[in-house]
Formats: sequence, structure tokens, C-alpha cells
Amino acid sequence: MTSILEFILRLAVWLLLAPALPGIINKVKAWVAGRQGPPMGQLYYDLARLWKKSVVMSTLASPAFIIGPAVAWIAVLVAAMFLPLGPVGGAPGFHGDVLLFIYLLAVARFCTTWAAMETGSAFEGMGSAREVSYAVLSEAALMTAVLSLGVQSGSVTLNEMLATSAGAGAVLLAAGLFTVLLAENSRVPFDDPNTHLELTMIHEAMVLDHSGPPLAVILHGASMKLMLFAVLLAEAVLPLGNMQPLMATFALIGAVLAVTIGVGLVESLLARFAFRRAPLLLTTAFLFCVFALLIAWKGGAA
Amino acid sequence: MSPLVNIIVGLAMGLNLLALGSSRLPSVIRAMAVQGVLLGMLPLVIETDFDWMVMLVAVVTMAVKGVLIPTLLRRAMRAANIEREMEPFIGFVPSLLLGAAGTIAAIAGARALPLLTEHADTLLVPGALASVFTGFILLVGRAKAISQVCGYLILENGIYLFGMLLIHSTPLLVESGILLDLTVGVFVIGIIMDRIQRAFDSLDTRKLTALRE
Amino acid sequence: MMSGPLLLLGGIGLLAGIVFGRRRPRLWLVATVIGNASLIVAAALVLSGPDDWQWRNGFPIGGELLHFRLDGLSGLFLLLLGIVGAAGAIYAREYWSDEHHAESAPRGRAWWSAMILSMTTVLLSSNGLHFLIAWEVFAVSSFFLITLDRANREVRAAGWLYLACSHVGTLCLFGFFATLAARTGGWELGPMREQAGLAPLLWLALPGFALKAGLFPVHIWLPSAHANAPSHVSALMSGVAIKLGIYGLLRFSGWLPVPAALGPVVISVGAVTALLGIAFAFAQDDVKRLLAYCSVENVGIIFVGIGGGLLGMAHADAPWGRVLLAGALLHVWNHGLFKALLFLCAGSVLHATGTREMTRLGGLWRTMPWTASLFALGSVAISALPPLNGFVGEWLVYLGLFDASTSHGPAAWAAMPATLMLATAGALALATFLKAGAVIFLGVPRTRAAGHAHEGGRLMRGPMLALAALCVGTGLAPVLLWPAINRAVGVWNSSWVAGAPPAPLLTLGLVNLTLLAAFAAGSVWLWRKAHANGFRRGLTWDCGYAAPTPRMQYTGGSFAGIVTGWFAEILRPERVQQRPRGPFPSSARRIQRAPETVLERVIAPAAAGVLRVSSAARRLQHGRVQFYILYLTGGLTALAIIVWWGGIQ
Repeated sequence: MTSILEFILRLAVWLLLAPALPGIINKVKAWVAGRQGPPMGQLYYDLARLWKKSVVMSTLASPAFIIGPAVAWIAVLVAAMFLPLGPVGGAPGFHGDVLLFIYLLAVARFCTTWAAMETGSAFEGMGSAREVSYAVLSEAALMTAVLSLGVQSGSVTLNEMLATSAGAGAVLLAAGLFTVLLAENSRVPFDDPNTHLELTMIHEAMVLDHSGPPLAVILHGASMKLMLFAVLLAEAVLPLGNMQPLMATFALIGAVLAVTIGVGLVESLLARFAFRRAPLLLTTAFLFCVFALLIAWKGGAA
Repeated sequence: MSPLVNIIVGLAMGLNLLALGSSRLPSVIRAMAVQGVLLGMLPLVIETDFDWMVMLVAVVTMAVKGVLIPTLLRRAMRAANIEREMEPFIGFVPSLLLGAAGTIAAIAGARALPLLTEHADTLLVPGALASVFTGFILLVGRAKAISQVCGYLILENGIYLFGMLLIHSTPLLVESGILLDLTVGVFVIGIIMDRIQRAFDSLDTRKLTALRE
Repeated sequence: MMSGPLLLLGGIGLLAGIVFGRRRPRLWLVATVIGNASLIVAAALVLSGPDDWQWRNGFPIGGELLHFRLDGLSGLFLLLLGIVGAAGAIYAREYWSDEHHAESAPRGRAWWSAMILSMTTVLLSSNGLHFLIAWEVFAVSSFFLITLDRANREVRAAGWLYLACSHVGTLCLFGFFATLAARTGGWELGPMREQAGLAPLLWLALPGFALKAGLFPVHIWLPSAHANAPSHVSALMSGVAIKLGIYGLLRFSGWLPVPAALGPVVISVGAVTALLGIAFAFAQDDVKRLLAYCSVENVGIIFVGIGGGLLGMAHADAPWGRVLLAGALLHVWNHGLFKALLFLCAGSVLHATGTREMTRLGGLWRTMPWTASLFALGSVAISALPPLNGFVGEWLVYLGLFDASTSHGPAAWAAMPATLMLATAGALALATFLKAGAVIFLGVPRTRAAGHAHEGGRLMRGPMLALAALCVGTGLAPVLLWPAINRAVGVWNSSWVAGAPPAPLLTLGLVNLTLLAAFAAGSVWLWRKAHANGFRRGLTWDCGYAAPTPRMQYTGGSFAGIVTGWFAEILRPERVQQRPRGPFPSSARRIQRAPETVLERVIAPAAAGVLRVSSAARRLQHGRVQFYILYLTGGLTALAIIVWWGGIQ
């Protein structure tokens, strides 16, 4: 009974809290720029509005144009459900679920890009090409980070890997994962979430032709993905498993907020990079994770 | 002592990669300068009892590597009016990956070396090897003279790190070696800069091939 | 045991196929399908039971007594062969029909049966000489299948390249078997792990089998052969034939003692192959070439698994070695299924439009909905996305590598880099198949041929559906296949027979099932919601551009451009570019091609050098008898001098 309650609670956290994160980022940006900015709940209003709207679909698109976002959204949600949430815990987990976690994110990527390519538009093509190309580097970095957590904790189950701290390499790992977070969620300096109708976009370019409920699902999924990476980063660095439940909850919330504010600050202080510099940054993130892996390896061996 | 030394050398190794990955010359110079300052602090950390001579050498090293040489280089950079390494022979991402691979190989390879037990668990030897390797990559892979000079100085930092291994046994020799090294370094750089600038109004070594006849 | 009669029936069916192939197509189909079906059943019986099947006969061939053996390892490969063989035979009836290929279709049918029969013999032979003979027949029959369309110059070139490479491999294998026979005193094969002196022989076998498997950099024959062969042949080649190279390596590393360095070598070559193979695949514009390079990648993944198994065996039979080997075997099975499916899909596109160039296709989902959906399914499977079968196999490989790394043994130095390279290759595979699927099936048709495509008939669709069903089934219930995999693993290393799966396959199957249900439910829900809210079709918006043309779409080349740039040093893409000039440019063009870099830049120059040297040597042979006598005299004098010199010493 409690496990069902717990499941519902976690589901609710992911579904209801995720759209708050982009709101926080926007507030931070507005505060740095000295503006008032949109209200924190702006994304909730947008989602509610989109959910009621009708759908316009390209004459070229097949049903996968709508199925894609749905599958991607579910894939992100299931991946998120594998992450433990402090004292609420995570899914029971099994040996090797961490790989399922990474590949569920890949499923989401496949589906959103496939849906984008449905329209035959050059913009969507451009966005998709960038999305899948940068994902090559960020997935390598993510896998390295996960491997270093595995080596550190001696386990291949997400619950156990995230319970301990990342050890001496935590700083490196945090830097690497934070960069991956920025790249995977199409934030500055990889992409600018504020631009529309420019040649410089990744995520926005892919969703140009979506409308109504499918667009709502895509936006909600993107916010869940942001929260997923923030939670992953927080749990990878903090030894939540060794804390009191209440303490762990506060630490987790605090860390996720810190990451979110960090994204906002990065976005306020940095400009978007030229696209040819993005691989260099992602390679750096990958190297951070590689060195974290080495440190974990040395630490674990001793 | 060991953790602090390891942190310093680890940071220096990170700066190696920073120098490899950045396309802007000022950041390469800055990376090199910071590395010089960090390594200048090393004798103070390693030598536990206070000694005027060590203090002096450390301060001089930091001043020269952190201030004097970077200033010279910046001036040369302004004079030649170049800010960026535009077309390196080895691209930035490949040289970064190469440098990282070299660093890892240095860490792994240093275990195989027959070191004294007091040096076995410090990063001194891997750091030295990695810096030398980084210096070589910069020397081979960059087209602009200033980047190459930075490469030479990073290589030189690696040799300096090797010297740190001996500081317990022959302190005076090491210290005088460091000072001599600095003097030569400053001279060489000053002369190279001056000559290149005067002869070509540019600091691109690709144009130096005109000299081969 | 029923296996013996069933195998006999299979052999008779295939022989009948060879006989009937030319004149009686219907009878051929029946005979071949029955033959393959009995192979499937025989293999399944051996895989499900505890005993091997063995058969010896006093009847000598080439001075050696026949000895056939079907155990867990060969059974797994035979099962795959039977499935793909039957599917391809049915598909070929429509795809390479007598109406369209009056001259080559009869030949193709006979060689098809011959190739399956010879591959079966390779799998069954337990005698070195017969193995070699069957191996050679298999190579020759696949050569004739590749060159079915021999009027085409490109096809002939691909065929010759294949034949040449195949014989280099056979040469290595000949050396291997001959030395083995000399050392053991007979051609008879079987477990001989205890004879430690035989270990170095595997270094001779490795290049031979690697050539057939298409490992980088000896994959050079593979892309052009797969691209130019008829699609059902490509499916058989890629699905099963290259797997025989893997079978050979597994067979003999399971029977012979293993040199210590083999594991690290195999795992690192495999990891490099995986990464470079998929990088080349991403850059291709020819869909079948893309699939062929992707086979190179998958062979790399399989080799990583095998190398891990070898490492595990060397580290006191570590459990992670078992996981890795099981992953490799499962991936052999999976790749056989989804790659055959994808090649059949590509064949049906080729059949409908007459081109393999993706840049000339587009928008086919409207006219070919079945092919489009099945290709999408195959793409999901091959990109190792859950819940399909590709994920299960790669998951096992990753899991083994993770376990090897977390166990802090020295094996981690091989496992950690391999993990990172596989992760990169995995992301690239996703990009590759997204590109292939999207450029071929989505958007607007780029040429008229693509606009007038048509779906294939039932004979083409049926085998594709069957393969797709197997992909889904393996993904949802991998635990059903586990006994077979475990049996093969046990044959390879008998200390790994213990029954329970070393990884939670049952849980994974359940999770996959749940995922599939959730995906379906979510899709239906959103579809309904979208229609309930009001739904209309409009032009693609494209930033307000009112008249989009097919030429404005993103092409495959531009899609892959970013990554091609990263790998430019290795890929060496060639570009011809004419920029638009002036205020009213009359023309502009840009042609990009991904060459066969290894072949064109490395092997071909080396071969040209060898040719130059040998043609210089050939000048000595001109047919004038006087000079030959002079050579003889010279040679004798030289010999005499040497002898005399020796006497003085």
C-alpha cells in the first residue's frame, strides 16, 4: 500500500513540479537584468492554454508526428521514475537499470527528432541534425559520469549508485554533468531558449510545426528532462543515502534549486557560443567526467 | 604535505588541458602564467622548514613566470596584432583529447617507473610527464610563434616539476638550476620575439619557411 | 534424437532446391522453405535439450571421414541461418522474380540453396578439411549471388573484391587448419583446451575470421558487396554470412587454448570497429552502403562482447565474462534479425523506386506505409532503444563492461575505454538511423520516381513482418531465448553453465512490456486528445515560406555534416562545390561523397605498389628459351659458389 502511495507521490512530484524550473530560471534572468520578468508559473499557464487548443498538422506529416511527442514524454517520465527522490525513494530498481535510464533518454531523443523530420522543413532538419550530433558527445559524457558513479559505489543500480557521494572527483563530475545538462536541455551556451525564428536554434527549431496538446506534451517533457538532469546532478554529488530523511529532502531541494539558479546565472552572464565551439565545450565536459572516473577508480582501488 | 602538492599539480595538469583547448592567445598565456605561479609555490609546500633561500627562489619564479614573461608575451601579441590561433595544425578538440590521453597515460605510466616510495603516491612525476607532453603538442600543433613559446614554457614547467623530486636531497643545486633556467628562458623568449618581430612584422612561423633557402 | 533425421531432411530440401531452382520456381520455394524449417527445428531441439548431436560415417571425403556435430554454439547460428534463409527465399520470389530478371533469377535460386547448404555444412563440420571445403563453397556461392546482376560493372567489381578478400581470409584459415592438423596429427576437430602449445595458432585464425566478419580495417569488401548484391542476398550476407566469421572465432577460441593477449586485442579492435564503422555509416548516402557499414559497427559490438568473454575467462572465469559473452551471442541473434529486416525494407524501397540514393527519395511513408513502419521499427531496434531486442543485447554487453569496471580488476583498463566508445557509437547509430528513416520516408518526395513508389506484395511483406515480430518478441521476452544462449555459452566455457541468468532478464522483459504498453497508451491518448480538440492539416510552416519545394528539405548529407566534420581526418569526405556568383546566379552546386577511405587510400595504393613490383618481376618471364637456359646456368653457378664457399668455411 505504501509503495503505491509512494509511486503516486513521486509521479506527482515529477509531473507537477517540473514546469516550475523554467519559471525559476526566467525569474533569475529577469532579476539579473533588473526586470520584473514573467511570473514563476508562466509555463503552467502556457501548458493549460495549449492543452485546450486545436491542432494544425503539416500536410506532409504522418501520425508519428503526434505519436512521437507522446512516446518521448513517456520515455522521459519513466526514466525520471527510476531516479530516487530522497526519502521518497525510487523505483525498486534492478541490476543495470542505469543503462535503461540512459537509453530511455535516447528513446525520447529519437522520437522528438523523428517527429520533427516529419514536416520536411529545413529548419526542423537543421535542429534535428544538431540535436543528434551534440548528443553523441553528451551521451559519451553522461555514460562516463555514470560509469564513474558505478566505479565509485561498486554498483550498477541507480538507487545505490546515487546514494553515496561521488567522492574526491565530485567537483569534476559536477562540472561535467552541469555542462551536459546545459547541452541536453538546449540552454545557453549551446542554444538560446529565448530565440525564435533564427538559424541558431536546436530545440525550438525542432518544435516549430507542433501545436496544441502535442506541443504542450513536448514542453512539459522538456521541463521534466531539465529537472531529471538537475536531480541526477544533485544526487550524484551529495551523499543523500547517508543523511537523515528530512535532511536529505532539504538537501535535495536545495541542490536542485541551486542547479536551476546556476542555469539562470549562466544564461544571464554568458552569450550563446558559436556552433563550432560547442563540441569543444562538450569535449571538455567529457574530459571532466573521464578524470572523475579516474579519480573514482583510484579511490576505489585504494 | 602530499594532498596539497597533489592538488597543486592536479590544477597544473588541468591548466595544461586549458592551454590545449583554447583558441584565444590571451587565455593560453594566462593558463601558462597561472601554471607558473602554482608551480612556483611548490618549493614552499614541499620544503617544510622555512628557509630564506627557498622563499627567495619561489618569489622570483612566481614573479618571472607569472608576471614578467606573460607581460613580454602580451606585448609581443599586441605588437604583432594577433589575438587568436586561427588554423592550428592539430585542431583544438583533437589536441585536447590527445592531451587528456597523454595525461592518463602519464598517470598510468608513472606507476610502472621505479620511483622512490616518497614520490610514488604524489602526482609530481605524472604531472611532469603530462606537462612535457602538452608542451610538445603545442610546439608541434600550433602555427603562431606565441603559442609555440607558451608550449615551450609549459614544457619547461614539466622539467621544473622533475627537478622538484630532488629538492630534498640537493636543494641548492635545484634552486640555482631553477634560477638559471628562468634567466635562459627570459633571454630566449626576448630574443626570439624581437628577431621575429623585426624581421617579419608578424609572428606566424609558417612564414619562417621562407628562410630555408 | 530427432535432430539427425531433421538435418537430413534439411539437406535433402536444400539439395532439391539446387536441382529445382532453375526450372521449377514453386517447387524450389517449397523445398527450400521445408529445408530451412527442418534446420530451424533441428537447431531448436539441440538448443532446448542437454545433448549435442553427433554423426560419424565411414564414408571418406578427401581421405577424411565425415564427422558432423551440432552443439549449442552451432545450433544458435543454425537457427538464425534457417530463419533468414527461409525469409529471404520467400522474399526473393517477388523481389527477384522471373518477369524482371529472366536471366539471373533461376541462377539466383539455385545458388541461394547452395549457399545455405554450404553454410549449414560449415556449421556442422567437425573436421578441418571439410570445414575448409565447405567454407570455400560458401564463399564461391555468395560470390555468384552477389554478382547476380552481372551486366552491371559496379556489381562485378564488388564481386571480385569480395572474392579476393575472401581468399586472403581462406589462405589464413588454410594455414591455421594445416598447422593444427600437423600439430595434432589429424584433421579431426573438437575440444582440445588442454594442449597449451596450440594457443598461438589462434593468431592465424583471427585475421581469417575477421576478414569474413568485416572487422575494421579489413571490412573493405563489405560495403560494396552488400550494396551491390540483390537485397535478399544482402540480408543473408549481413544477417548470417558475416556471422560465420564470428562463429569461427567463437568455435576455435572455445576449443583451443587461448593466448593471453587475445582478449584485450579482440575487445579493443571491436571497440574501434564499432566507433569507426558507425561514423562511416552516418556519412553514407547510399542506403544499402549505410546498412553495410552499420553491420561493421555491430560486428564490432559483438567482438567487444567476445573479447570480454575471453578476458573474463582469463580472470578466473569471472561472472562478468559470462554476461559479456551472452551479450555477444544475443547480439548475433538480434543483429541477424533486424539487419535482415532493414535490408529487406531497403530492397522494397529499391524495388519501388529503382534507386538506393537517399537524396533521391523522400516522403515514401504515404505510398509505402508498411515498409516505412517496418523500417522505423528496425531502426529503433538497431539503435538499441528499449523496448525492442537490440537494447537487450547491448544492455548485456554494457552490463558486463560495467561489472568488469566496478570489480576493480585489471580488466577494467580494457572495459572502461570500450564502454565509452560503445556509448559514442550508440549515439551515432541513433543519428544514423534517424537520418536514414527520415530522409527516405519523411517529408516530400525529392524525385518523381520517389513520388510514384508502390508497396511490395504479400510475398515481400510477409517475411519482413515475421522478422519484425521476432525482433519485438525477443525484446519483450528475452528470458525465453536465455536457455539457448546459456547453452551456447556453456559450450564455449563449460564452467559457465550454471542455469540462472547472471542478469535480471526477466525483470527487463517485464519492464520492456510495461514500456511498450505505456508508449501505446500514451500515443492513443494524445492522438485522441488532438482529434477531440479539433484537427486540421496545413502547409508545413517553414517560417512563413509559402511555397516549399522538395529541394528545400534537409538532405542526408547536410544532416550528417556536423559529425562528418569531426571525423573528417578519417572519413576524408570529397566535395565538389560551385558557389552561386553575382546578383543573378545561373547555377550552383555542391556534391559530397563519402569515399571508401580504407580501400581507396590505404589498400589500393599498397596493392598498386605490389602490382608494380610483381610486374617488374614478370619481365623476367618472356618466353625466350635461351634466356631460361641462361637463368638455369646462372642459378646453378650461384648454387655452386655457395656450396664451394661453404666448403672453404
